[in-house]
Amino acid sequence: MDKQELEKQFEAHMREHELLLFKVCRIYTFTDVDRQDLFQDIVIQTWKAFPKFRGESKFSTWLYRVAINTAITGLRRKKDFITYYEPLSLPAHISDDNAAKTDEEQLKQLYEAIRRLNEVEKAIVMLYMEDRSYEEMEAILGLSQGNLRVKMNRIKEKLRQLTKEINYGT
Amino acid sequence: MELDDLKNTWKKNQDYTSTNINIMELIQNKHYGPVAALKKAFKKQMRLMIILPLLIFATSINDIGKVLTSVLFWSYIAFCLAVIMFSFYNYRIVGRMEGMDGMVKSNLELQVNLLQKRLQWNIIGLRFALLFFVILIEVVPYFQHYRMLDKWHALHPLVRLGAYAALFTLQYFVSRKLSQRKFGNHLMHLEELVKQMQA
Repeated sequence: MDKQELEKQFEAHMREHELLLFKVCRIYTFTDVDRQDLFQDIVIQTWKAFPKFRGESKFSTWLYRVAINTAITGLRRKKDFITYYEPLSLPAHISDDNAAKTDEEQLKQLYEAIRRLNEVEKAIVMLYMEDRSYEEMEAILGLSQGNLRVKMNRIKEKLRQLTKEINYGT
Repeated sequence: MELDDLKNTWKKNQDYTSTNINIMELIQNKHYGPVAALKKAFKKQMRLMIILPLLIFATSINDIGKVLTSVLFWSYIAFCLAVIMFSFYNYRIVGRMEGMDGMVKSNLELQVNLLQKRLQWNIIGLRFALLFFVILIEVVPYFQHYRMLDKWHALHPLVRLGAYAALFTLQYFVSRKLSQRKFGNHLMHLEELVKQMQA
């Protein structure tokens, strides 16, 4: 395959999966500038690895690998990595009345809670929310399905606690 | 809040608008992640080690015969060659870390393994370099006379031995500190990720 053809294919794949990259960047960064940097890093890494893609797995599975690997191993380059984010601007709600909240508000809370998870947990919860099967998650992360199920249960519990904390503004 | 209830909202709502980013323009940019930074550092080291002996050569062009018969000069060339080889080895190791399309866990384990190996060789290499110069300083006067070494060799052997011991101790701490500053934090971050995987 010549370079032009390769570039064409690559661009088409990236356009098709732009949303996937956007989600990874949103989960792993806190500012727009970092988000753009990470997006660029992932695109460059994907381009470097693209000639090796043989189609043995779905493109999205392969792309998740590149994106997560780049996100979790590359974020320390400029400054010390922010492991915990204190959302000072979050309103300190008095009650834990989730029923009264719209889905969008709950989603915002979920994002805030996810940002307090560690890097591996973030990847697992993102894939879970994307409805990826445990088999596919295993192919991306390299963890056994049994281990992933155990971790997912723990993460669910952790997220429940974290959203409660966010609700109470702690 | 139940995670499963939010799956649909998650998929729909991502504040996402197509970015219209020129993907092909993005890939023309140089990558500047930690691995790329390490590769750049090793490349720079190799270039420097090629330039320095040439510089010595160029500045001593009027007295070239003396330079070419100097044991110190050739020892320095040997040292530079060793550093170039070592940097090339490091460059290749770091190059292997660039593959990002493997499973996340195995990719992390590979990166940790390679960096630990590099760290070990780095410490061994530095110790050998220091030992090489110590032996050189002690042995060279038997073959060639260097005025600059006269005063040193006039000192009592025990004083010289003490100074060398101090030098090795200093090197132990300095090289550790330097390695930590260069890529130790990145290694610690990767080790933490491996721990998170295994937890």
